[in-house]
Amino acid sequence: MAENTDPPSEPLDGTESLNRSRPPASDPSPSASASDAPARHEAAPPAGEPLDSAPTGVDAAGLLRAFAAGAPFIALVAAVETLIATALLGVGLTVAPLVVGLVTFAVYTVDHVADADADAASTPRRALLARRYGDQQMVAAALGYGLAVALAVAGGPLALALTLLPGACWVVYASDWLPDVGRAVGGAVAAVIPRGRLGSGSTAADGGYRHVPRLKDVLVLNSVVVAAAWAAALTLLPVAFAGVAAGPAVAVVFAYFFLRSFVDAELPNVRDVEADAAVGVETLPVVFGVARTRWLLYGVDGVVAVVVTSAAVAGLFAWPLVAALGVGLAASLFVTSLAGRVDDASVLGVAPDGTYLLVGAVIAGVRLIG
Amino acid sequence: MIGLSSLSVALLAAVVTGTSAAILAWRERPDAGATWLSLLLAGQVWWTVFLVLELEAATLAAKALWYDVQWVGVVMVPVAWLLFALEYTGRDRYVRPGVVAAVCVAPAVTLLVVAAGDPYGLVVVDREVSDTMVGSFLRVDPGPWYYVMAGYTYLLGIIGSVPILQLVRDEARPFQGQSAALLVGTAAPWISSIVYLSGAVPVPGLDPTPLAFAVSGVAYLLALSRFRLLTLTPAPRRRARQLVFEQLHDPVFVVGTEGYVLDLNRCAAEVFGVDRRTAIGEAATAVVPHYDELQTGQGDVGPLSIVGENGRRPYEVTVRDVTDDHGRAVGRLAVYHDVGEYIIQQQRLNVLNRVFRHDIRTETNLIQGYTDRLETTPGDERALSVVKESAARIYQLSERTKAASDLFDPVSEPDPPLPVATIIEDAAADLRDRWPRAQVSVCDEVPDVRVPATLQAVVENLCSNAVQHNDADRPSVWIEASTADGWVELSIADDGPGIAPAERAVLTQGVETPLEHASGVGLWIVKWGVETIGGRVSFADREPTGTVVTVSAPMGDATEGERSGAVADPGR
Repeated sequence: MAENTDPPSEPLDGTESLNRSRPPASDPSPSASASDAPARHEAAPPAGEPLDSAPTGVDAAGLLRAFAAGAPFIALVAAVETLIATALLGVGLTVAPLVVGLVTFAVYTVDHVADADADAASTPRRALLARRYGDQQMVAAALGYGLAVALAVAGGPLALALTLLPGACWVVYASDWLPDVGRAVGGAVAAVIPRGRLGSGSTAADGGYRHVPRLKDVLVLNSVVVAAAWAAALTLLPVAFAGVAAGPAVAVVFAYFFLRSFVDAELPNVRDVEADAAVGVETLPVVFGVARTRWLLYGVDGVVAVVVTSAAVAGLFAWPLVAALGVGLAASLFVTSLAGRVDDASVLGVAPDGTYLLVGAVIAGVRLIG
Repeated sequence: MIGLSSLSVALLAAVVTGTSAAILAWRERPDAGATWLSLLLAGQVWWTVFLVLELEAATLAAKALWYDVQWVGVVMVPVAWLLFALEYTGRDRYVRPGVVAAVCVAPAVTLLVVAAGDPYGLVVVDREVSDTMVGSFLRVDPGPWYYVMAGYTYLLGIIGSVPILQLVRDEARPFQGQSAALLVGTAAPWISSIVYLSGAVPVPGLDPTPLAFAVSGVAYLLALSRFRLLTLTPAPRRRARQLVFEQLHDPVFVVGTEGYVLDLNRCAAEVFGVDRRTAIGEAATAVVPHYDELQTGQGDVGPLSIVGENGRRPYEVTVRDVTDDHGRAVGRLAVYHDVGEYIIQQQRLNVLNRVFRHDIRTETNLIQGYTDRLETTPGDERALSVVKESAARIYQLSERTKAASDLFDPVSEPDPPLPVATIIEDAAADLRDRWPRAQVSVCDEVPDVRVPATLQAVVENLCSNAVQHNDADRPSVWIEASTADGWVELSIADDGPGIAPAERAVLTQGVETPLEHASGVGLWIVKWGVETIGGRVSFADREPTGTVVTVSAPMGDATEGERSGAVADPGR
């Protein structure tokens, strides 16, 4: 599976975010294993340290912590985001957070196992874990997704479709399925149409037709696809499980998660700007510079603030919830302000996800207070 | 989960296991069978999921809709099973677009009929909601096409199970476990389906097949995780065995019990100049070299001297009966091992052993004896002469031995073929140079062909032998050359005393004994050199005196067509 099923995960410094969506700077090849979903806590090893030396002698507790800091942590954040969406939408508590958590756990576990080799430099403990217990993790991930699907069936056709959405996106987005299909189609078409009549850029390897890249290798589109898929699942699953009609609040919640996801996806790019520029990968920080990117991300968070406030004014959200979101936005602005100014590589990977936990805690506090 | 029927809850277990197994199978792409197993499991999950939705739907129309959607999974399962079984067991040559399209025809027809609303009741004649204690489902009255599809499903299932069943008896334990798990996973829903069609289900109208998918999912999960299904597949074995047969450097023939050629590998076709397309089906006696000598019993036969594309080579033939699972002979296998190199190596060891054990020992004894004599009689000219001659013979023996080693150096690249005229002219010039009194005659018309360069050493040795061992005052040597059927015949005749019959016999038999052995190494170089290039050497007496040595050698640059006549006769 190593070469053909690599979903979102970014093997740069051990940090990742649910929305990371472009190939790592260290490996710009279209066929390289890259990631978009991002790990969070494990810091990169010191320069010059052999790739496999770091994990040597790591005890079981250390490996367990590395595992918990990976897919389970991301799954927890995703579940909390779904709880936030549930609260914002004003629907009853359903199994949607559990389903989203399971799907997230499955997708990111598969990604970590698939990218174990590429992750060896950035997250050695997690890579070691993936190599040593890859099969067990794959079984756990598969059972997790299976359970999520079964739960979704109980929620009806829409819940089922939404649950399958991340998996389907993963197949067409991160695995080599799309390039494989592209090659097959290219070969078939090339058999009918002479190569000489093809456009420039075609090669013999793809049957005389242009190479079809994985979606994750297409800049901008990759971020949009990832952000949209997760935002749709987070937002619509609570609605589907609750069996209520989708109101205008749904669009606002979707926009909230979509835009926040965009910020979360671009923050790690600030951290990787030098490496990306060195290998010619174009990202916002590479194209516009770190300072402008920072202001751009401030602007996106500002748009989020405007959207949320407008929704509150329109009566779609209760003000206490808006305040909780405001806390999260403030935290996000703070994290964005650190972009390019801190040396700890893990900060820009972990902190954006931490803002959701903060929002979730505030909402829980608000609910407890009444 | 609240509000789900008990049947739906049970079905969700099948969804969990089926989905999990499908993901694990998908992960193994592009390994043999992975994609089809993923589709098989996806079909099962699809069927089950929409059965749950059918059960939970409130209206007849909704139930009917979800029932119809289930057909996608229903028709997908048998097709995917068959294609998985074929690919997984290494029969992927059947998994071609045409075959896939063919097996998909009936499923496609089914889906089209269902999608069109089944206006003529081909699939379902009537349907009604059946409220039972396990759930509310659609009770259908099957139409004729329903039974056609059921039969088609069983047919594909049985065909797919045959190769899987063969693996149960495989000697490799992992494949036994895999196949057993696969069969359990497949048999469970079939049995359920049969029970349903036979009307033996306690809940009338309920098709329990999707329930059995829970068992299938567990079995497939077990096969994937425990028995490393798809990670450890038997698919390459069939190809590998075929590859070994095809790429074997020894010619192999497969002959049926009726004596007709059933198969032969590429090497057999190349070495013996056989056209594979026409050879299969021909009588073995007309195609398989020396087949008459192979017909009795089995084991190793030979060595047999056979002329092929590489000239005349000695072959040892291993004959084995091919038997079926019941031990019945269904054919014979004949493997031809070219033992020429082996035989020559053995002979070289024997000759070198004799050289050291006999020739050099004799000469050193001679030297030792005469040097003792020189100690007591320093002026003994004869003794001095004997010592010198003996030392010269040792030197000459050493040179010949070195020449023999150079001749068969397996590391060095063979020299390119030489014109026959050049070889003859060089040999004649060497003779005239070394023995000016020798009369060397070369035939007027030397064929303008090339022969392997090894023949140069052969001719030189024959010519020098012809003069060196000739006691005539003016030794005469005649060198002639001719061609026929891609072969060159070189004859060197002399008027000497002739080669002793015992020495010829040793060369013919290829074995020396302490009592019967050749003198020196020269004739052995001739024999080995000729055999190395796939030629033949023969000795004949010349009237009134002398010997005629004839060397037959394949032309060095002859085309296949020029030599085809030489290999057309399998018994030659």
